[in-house]
Order: sequence, then structure tokens, then C-alpha cells
Amino acid sequence: MAPPSKDDSSSTHPVVFTTKTTYLLPAQKFMIPTTWRRYQLSQLVNKALSLTTPVPFDFIVRGEILRGTLAEWCHEKGIGEEETLEVEYIESVMPPQKVSSIPQDDWISDISCALPGYFITASYGGYIRIFDYSQNTALTGSVHHAPVTSLSLDPTPISKDEGVMIATASHDLTGCLVRVSLDADTGNHTSSILASLHLHTSPLSSIAYSRSGKHLLTASWDTLIGLWESHIPEEDEVDVAEAQTDRRKRRKVDGRDRPKRKAPSSVLKSHTARVSKAVFSSTGKTAFSCGFDSTVRSWDVENSVCTGTITASEKPMLGMVVLPDDNSVASSSADRSVSVYDFRAASSALPSATLSFIHSSMPSSVALSPTSDSQIITGSYDGVVRLWDLRSTKSAVASFKVWNGEKKILAVDVASSSGSGIVGVGGEGGLEIWRMGKTATTTAA
Amino acid sequence: MASVSNLRKRKSSAPGQAPKDEQLLPVSALEMLSEDEHDEEPESDDGNYEEFPEIDAASDTEEEEDDDDDDDDDDDEGEEGEEEADYSSDASGSEKKLSIFPKAKVVISDITGEPKKVYPEIEPDYDSDSSTEDAPNRIGNIPMHWYDDMPHIGYDVDGKKLLRPAVGDELDKFLKTQEDPTTWMSVLDNNTQAEKQLSPEELDLIRRLYQNENPDAGYDPYEPMVEWFTGKGKEEIMPLSAAPEPKRRWIPSKWEKQKVMKIVRAIRQGRIVPSKPKTSSTEPRFYAVWSDPIPSLHPPPLPAPKPRPPTHAESYNPPEEYLPTEEERKEWEATDKEDRERDYLPQKHSALRLVPAYDQFIQQRFSRQLDLYLAPRIQRTRLRIDPNSLIPKLPSPSSLKPFPTYKSLDFSHGASRVCCISASPDGAWVLSASESGVISLWEAIIGREVKKWNASGKVGSISWCQNPESYYFIVGLEDRLEFFIPPNLPSSLHTFTKNLLAPATLPPQPATPSPLKWISSSDPEKPVLVVANLSGLTKQIAWHARGDYFATVSSDGGVWIHQVTKRHSQSPFKKIKGTVQIVLFHPKKPNFFVATQTYVRLYNLSEQKLIKTLMPGIKWISSMSVHPSGDHIIVGGYDRKLCWFDLELSNKPYKILRYHTRAIRSLHFHPTYPLFASSSDDGTIQIFHARIYHDLMTDPLIVPLKILRGHIVKDGLGVLQVEWISRQPWLLSAGADGKIDLWCS
Repeated sequence: MAPPSKDDSSSTHPVVFTTKTTYLLPAQKFMIPTTWRRYQLSQLVNKALSLTTPVPFDFIVRGEILRGTLAEWCHEKGIGEEETLEVEYIESVMPPQKVSSIPQDDWISDISCALPGYFITASYGGYIRIFDYSQNTALTGSVHHAPVTSLSLDPTPISKDEGVMIATASHDLTGCLVRVSLDADTGNHTSSILASLHLHTSPLSSIAYSRSGKHLLTASWDTLIGLWESHIPEEDEVDVAEAQTDRRKRRKVDGRDRPKRKAPSSVLKSHTARVSKAVFSSTGKTAFSCGFDSTVRSWDVENSVCTGTITASEKPMLGMVVLPDDNSVASSSADRSVSVYDFRAASSALPSATLSFIHSSMPSSVALSPTSDSQIITGSYDGVVRLWDLRSTKSAVASFKVWNGEKKILAVDVASSSGSGIVGVGGEGGLEIWRMGKTATTTAA
Repeated sequence: MASVSNLRKRKSSAPGQAPKDEQLLPVSALEMLSEDEHDEEPESDDGNYEEFPEIDAASDTEEEEDDDDDDDDDDDEGEEGEEEADYSSDASGSEKKLSIFPKAKVVISDITGEPKKVYPEIEPDYDSDSSTEDAPNRIGNIPMHWYDDMPHIGYDVDGKKLLRPAVGDELDKFLKTQEDPTTWMSVLDNNTQAEKQLSPEELDLIRRLYQNENPDAGYDPYEPMVEWFTGKGKEEIMPLSAAPEPKRRWIPSKWEKQKVMKIVRAIRQGRIVPSKPKTSSTEPRFYAVWSDPIPSLHPPPLPAPKPRPPTHAESYNPPEEYLPTEEERKEWEATDKEDRERDYLPQKHSALRLVPAYDQFIQQRFSRQLDLYLAPRIQRTRLRIDPNSLIPKLPSPSSLKPFPTYKSLDFSHGASRVCCISASPDGAWVLSASESGVISLWEAIIGREVKKWNASGKVGSISWCQNPESYYFIVGLEDRLEFFIPPNLPSSLHTFTKNLLAPATLPPQPATPSPLKWISSSDPEKPVLVVANLSGLTKQIAWHARGDYFATVSSDGGVWIHQVTKRHSQSPFKKIKGTVQIVLFHPKKPNFFVATQTYVRLYNLSEQKLIKTLMPGIKWISSMSVHPSGDHIIVGGYDRKLCWFDLELSNKPYKILRYHTRAIRSLHFHPTYPLFASSSDDGTIQIFHARIYHDLMTDPLIVPLKILRGHIVKDGLGVLQVEWISRQPWLLSAGADGKIDLWCS
């Protein structure tokens, strides 16, 4: 493949292209005119690979996405013309498009898009709501008498008659396992509370299913993490006498079908302050948690011991997501940053935070990106959802504002299974659905 | 000296002798010589002058010895001079040959035609200089009698002794004079102590000296007179006095002697120091003032700006387009002199000779003189202090992290003012009350209201219980205190709190029942406990560290201390001077701070006595906060002052800070971090780093960290209250704009 014809008037720069996408170029040094921008580079890659349908690419030079011309970048960084640049290219993220907005009368504390075709939201009013993609409210189920802070969907494949299991965590010191049966044909959706989780003495902050669906993790303000089996017990595992007086009424109403009271299989104790998030890794054997004591901890689930602790300085953690490599987590903290902590590096006593993404406001939630393994989505209190690439820490790849940037985002989630790049954003203003990803490839490269 | 006086005597004794009479003179002189010697001694002693030298006796005697030696030599010479005279009489005929000086030839000058003397050339060979003569004795010019007792007379050039030559006795001398006719021509060489034969030239020279003649044989004292001023036609006519010489010309002056003696006496008494050391002579009396520029510390004055070169408009004959129009002229004349764009109007003259005299000349010269007169010609020395050097060295705020830097979220109470806020002891919840009577409980980090109470009156204060075992809060509503239990408590905590506030069996009434009623209720919608009949709206609730006691301040200044477990209230002060503004419990000791309008008093509650009165010098105290260590308090006032007191030091402030532009409303120390915050009516919150050292010698370090802006000033009220969230460096602020902001690090 011959280098492109040179323009005599402009200087050129030696460039080597690398990629982790499927679109591989031969390892060869290209002399690129320094006046070229992303568009010309993308065209070059497309022509070099002679792709039938043009694919837009973005180019990352030394951890920074190329925004202007190569010459501008080199001038800014003070890089000489002789130096060979290693340019990594990734598939471009198309500008996010708003799909719909569903205003709610109450704040949405958590959202899950894991169920195909539906959005499940937990609200501060104490109920969970399920919307289908046509923005109709499929179900409203009152689960708690206090704000629901977190929900998690059982990821095991569902059979139609059984419905899906949803776990919720609430301020009323309990978690609940709710069975929701969704009958799309008849529109007859029902929900029933099967069990309540009794361990914590402070409001719960998060609940999460394992990938296998057999275990649950709850994190609470009382510094404890509870590990639970997900099956519904036959009998109450916790004494009724401890129940609060106001609960007595509900139990009478529920009668025979009242939820069973579940006890944890084990308790993970190590945090010194409020635990804000506890999640399983994809294998289910390890768990990660973060909290207001500025630590991120990894746990051996089977033995219930803390296997690793990364202490950041003065970074109370708010949200966390396990990255696809299963060994590192991206955690958002109150000092307006989202940092990536790698537990392999932590074992070798290296600096813990490898990457840090600075926000303009407090990032409340983190989620994996629908488009790429090395991208994450963050939602922050200034009402902006940002897409970050782990290779480019300087600025976000893409961002969009919800509710005119006036209201807080409390939860973001991505419908990963569909691959359509549907992003659900929940918060102070209700629910907004956005589409984001590399689907719109019809435009020119 | 003696020989000189001899010569003088001789001269005076023979004034009439003819100089040509050479033969007589040596003989008579010889005879006179020895006589004179003896005559002169008394004569010289007799002389008036000689009194002076007796100052130094030692030197005199030595000199006299010298003189004696010389006299001896003279005697010898005299004897020899006798023969010399004979010799010279022999040689007198050939006078010219005897001259040791080179003879001058008289030749006729080619140029002038006059005769002139021409001396022979001096050949500068080795012998032409006497210094090169080979003297065997190298002891130098020292008195030879030092060697009189020695066998040698000196040393040669190699340092070897020169032995004294053999000298015959008087008989030998006499025989020698008889036998050798040339003996009298020899003389004793002082250096070699040997007889030395004198040459005829030298003899002639000696003779001439004896006869007071010119030693030069060629000198003619009787040269024919050249008549410069006499003779025919050269007579000078001038008056010459014929008066006889006055006596004073030839006798020594008596007055002079008296004056000299006066000086001598003064010197002897030490009044005059002869040869006084000259100190001032070392430095030059005069120096060139203008040659070198005076070295100056200051930069040279700026050179005057260059005047702009004249343009066409300033020409005497400018082109037409430069001439002002009538409107421009009027406008120029209308404007003040100072405001004019240019100080002239272009004028056109057809020829240079038609240009009139400069009409502003006198005016300008006058104003220039006025300027010079009024403007002092002093180069003022400006103080060159780097303003940065005056700023105290403080650590940079970035090194003192964490502290709140940005607004994380806000919680709105609508339009009504937020009058009080309180953060729960665990930092999770915030209570806020607005002036419209709405009490909200919300989650601190989310900002979501969890529960709301609508109070039926004015809320004055709100406070969480500081006891970690129970969980409730107190609202100061109108003239009562209402106790509430927040929702979502674990059952054990809930029942404990409930039993504490509304126990089944009431504790025994104290001996002196309090005037306040403690009423419990079991209705979940109503407050669990109400303390009623306070004298006014409760402005402030202050908790004791243990969480059992709390103190309240009413709007009329009444102070109550309540005990929750005993359901008892009492007023600690019988009579209070001034209106109480704030009260605070000491965090560690049983001490109690009471701030009135101008003073802060510290009481010991267990001993019931006043410990200290702090005088902050503030006109009206608005706020106060105690450092968690208990040794320091800060007091803020409506007159913008903030005073820092070290309780171990004096009752005057350690530091007074005035940085807010309006009244300080609220102060709060962080319970764990070394931070404090102050809020003001100017709408700002200022964060300070306040580190206190355990070392008593080190002063507390107060560093301003951050000014937080965000609240809107409404009706002249800014930020009404600030409160830290415990365990985190986060700050809550309640503003008059109805918003509560959470500031995070």
C-alpha cells in the first residue's frame, strides 16, 4: 500500500496506525500531511481497507482524541516533525440522540435496562416502575414505604410464566426480592414481594445480583456488606419480634403471602464508613465495593474476606462499575472525578489510580459504554452524561445534557444486550432515553 | 664648628688685609688659631643666642667631644698648614697650572663676534666620578675615634680587618720634618689613618680657603667693571638717603628674643606641641565636585518625552485644508484651555516676515516660572518595598486539602428564608427549617427530601441530638421545644429513643420542680416530647458533648439548661447582665460559655462560678464557636469582626480578623478537620484552615483557604448559617434566598 500522494505545499509527519478494532491496517509508517484532520484520516483508513460501507473512525494520539489538525496537535505538544507518532484509531461514536423523555413526579434513584424491551426504575417514592420502549408505564409496584435507593435484575434467562426477579434496596433498612411477571400480549403485569432482606441497621445504598443470579450483595451506610443467597426461603429466617410496629399492619394485609424474612449468608466487614456500592465481578467469585472511607475493596465471596484494598486520599466514592477485564473498577467520587483502580497493580504496590476523569460536577453514577469495552458512561449532578474512552483521559468523547442541565442525574444504565446503544438516564427530572453508538453508519466516513 | 668660627674671627680681625697678600696670612693665622680657640669658648658662652641649645644636655656633650676631636685635627692641620703656606708661596707663581678645575678657553663666537668661554669637554670615563675610587676602608663616614683603642682601623671590602698603619712618635715626626721637606705637604687621611701626600692643586685650594678667596683659581674678583647703569648716558637719577644706618640694624633685637623665649617657654611647658601630627593632611582638602556623577541608589529620572515634530498645521503658511473653519474656531475658543485638543490655531501668513511676535510668550514664561516656583525640585525617594514581602508566609491552600471548593447540590425551600439547619451527627441527614414553618429532612449527599413537617408557628432553632445512642432532633418552635424521631430507624434504636423521650415510668420529680412542662405523646404524627412554657422563641440549642444536657437561649435572653433523662429544666442564672446571644458547652470540661452583646463569659457549672470574661471588642456578638479541643473559641460580630481567643492566654483576642464586608452571621469549627467556616451578610462563606499545635509555644495557624460564593443577598441578608457535615470536609450553608447549599471538596 503506497503512502498517499504528498502535497508539496504542506509538510508531512510519520505516523504508525494501531487499533484494537477489527479493522486492521498493515503495520507500516505513513507520511501524513500535517494539515489533515480526523475526516481525512478516517477516509484514509477506509480507502486503505477498501471498506464497502464507510466506517467513521476517531484517532487517539498519546491518550488524547485528535480534534484539530495534526499540525496543531504537534505544535501544542511541541513535537518535532521527525518523531514518529503512534496513532490508535477507534470507531467513532455518533452524536447521541434523544429518544424520549418520561417525566416523573418523583426522583428516580436507579434504573436498569437489562430487561430487553423495558426500563425498570426505582424511585424515591418507594415503588418500582417498569416502562416499555413505547414509553408506556407497564407496571407500578409499591415495594417499600421508604425511598428505594437501588435495584438489580436477576440476569438469568427468564421463562414467561415465572417472570423476572428484581431485587431492591431501600432506606427502610431492608432489601426486597420482587417477582414481576410481564405478559406483553395481554398487558397484564403483576408484581409480588417474595422476600425481605434483614441485616442492616442503616439505609441500604445498593443491591446487586451476581451474573449467575444465585447471590446478592447489599451495601449499606452501616459499613456492612451483606451476601445473600437469592432463593426464597420457606420460613422466616429472622425473628418477627424485631419487626417494627408499623410493619405489623402490612403483614396483616399481606396475610399468608407475606414476604419471607431472609437473613444473609455472610457479612463482609472491612469498610470504616458508609459503603456506597457493592457489585460482583463477572465470574461471581470476587466482589468489589467502594465507600465513603475513600477505599475500594475486593472480596473473596466464598470466604467472605477482603482480599485487596486500594485507598485513595479524600475521595468519598459514590458509584462504581466493574470494567470488562474483571480486575479493575471505575469509581466515581465526590471530588468530581471518576478514577480507574486496577487491583493487579494494587498488589504490586504501585500507584492505585491509573486513570482519572475530571468532571465539572459530582459524578453520581458510572456505567459501561454500549459501544466499546474501553469506554464508560458517567452521569453527574450537573445533568450531563459523558462518554469517556479509557485511552483518552483529557476530555470526554461525547456528552449530552438532560433536562437542560438543571437537574441532577442519579442513575445511568445501558441496554447492553440489544447492542442498540440505548442509554437510560434517571434522576431528579424523571427518565430520559438516549441512543448512542455506532449504528448510524450511513453518513459519510 | 670651631673652624668656621675661626674663619669668621679671622675675617673680622683682618678686614683691611689685601687678598693678594698670600704670604703673610698663613703664619699669622696659625698663631691666632690656638689663641682664638681658648678665647672663643667664654665668648660663645657669653652670647645671648646660646641659651637655647641647652635643652638637650646629652647631645651637647657629645658634640663637644666631637668638637675636641676636630680641634685636634685642626691643630694638626694648622701645623701642616704652616708648611703648606711655604709650599704655596713657592707655587704661587704658577697659579694657573695649579687649578684643579678645567680651564676655560676664550674664543671669538662666530655668531655674535664677542669673546666667549668654552670649557673642555668632560670625559665620562671611570675616574671622572669620585664614588668609584677604591677606598680600602669600608666602614663609612663614622667618627674614627671609635677605633682608637682597636688594633685595626676598619674593614676592607672582604670584611678583613685593616690594621692600623704604624705611626711614629713625636720624635720621628720631628725628624721627618727636618729630613723630608715635603712632610708638611702630607695630611692624615682620616679613612686610612695614614699620611697622605697632597698635590699642589690641593694645597692651592686649601690656601685659597684659608685666605677666604674663591677656591677657583681662575676666578678673578677684580674683573673690569661692566657699566650697566653708570657712565656716560647711563646715570640713574634717584634719591638716595644719606641717613646713617640705625642702631637696630646691627644689634640683636630684644623683642624678637622675648618673643622667641615666649615660644620656647610654651614649648617647654607643653602648651605648644612642635611638629604636631597632621591628621587632616591625609585627606585631600579639595576635590572635583562635578567631575564624577554622584553615585545614586535610585534609577536616573526619566528623560523628558520627546516633543512631537511640528506638522503642517504649525507652519506659518499652512495649506488651506489645515486652516480651521469658523465652527472649529468657535469651538476651540469655547473650550477650556485645559480641554483643548491642541493649544494653537493654525494661521496663514503669506510671508515669514508677516508673522507677528509670539503672543503667548509672556504668558508661557510666566507659567513656567510659576511651575518652577511651585514645584519643589526634589527627587523624592519612594519607599521601595516589595509588597509581597509584607504578606506573611502562609502555606499554599492546595497543600491544605481537603476543604470545600465547589457547590455540589442545593436544596430549595422556595422563597422563604432558611432560618436554621442542622446536620445529623453521622453526617447522613440534614434538617432545615424555613421561616414559613416547613421543616425538611433530607439526605445530605443526594439532596432528596425524605420527610417534611409543617410546623404551626415560627421555628427559631433546630438541632440533632448529639448522643450517638439515641436518634432524635429538637425544634425550637414558638415558646416550646418539640422532639421528633426521624423515620427509618432500626427498631432497637427507635425503641431506645422512644423510651428515652416518652418513658413508661416518669423519673422522680426533683426537689425544686422546674417551671417548664415536659409532655410526652405517643401519636406518631405529633412530636414525641414537648417542653412548653419557655419565655420566648428559642434562638439557639447547644448540646453538651455527652448528649444528655442541652442549653437553650430564648429570644428575650433567657437561658435554660435541660436534662433529657431526668426531664428537668433549670435556669442557671438568677440575673443576667445584658442580653444573652449564644451559649455553648465546653467540649471537655464542665464549663459553659455565655456570649452577651459585648462580652463572652466562661462559667464553671459544677463549681457555679465565673472563670473568665473575654473582651472581644465587638459591638454586637452574633456568633461563636468552640474549637473541638476546647482551648480556643472564635467569636463573630455584626460589626464584621472575627476574634480568635486562646483561652490559655489573655482575655483579649489572639487575633482579630476583618475580612467580610458585611456582618458575620455564623461561625462553625469542623469537629474533626482543622477547618472553620464563617458566613456573612455579603453572601459569601469563607473557609479557613485553623491548625492548633499541641506544642504550647506554637501559635495557631490560621490560613484563609476559599471564598465560596453562590448565595444571593436578599433583603440585606446573606448566608444565615453554616454547618459542617461531620466526618467529611463538606459544608452546609443556609441562605436568605431560601436555598441550602452543600459544598464539597
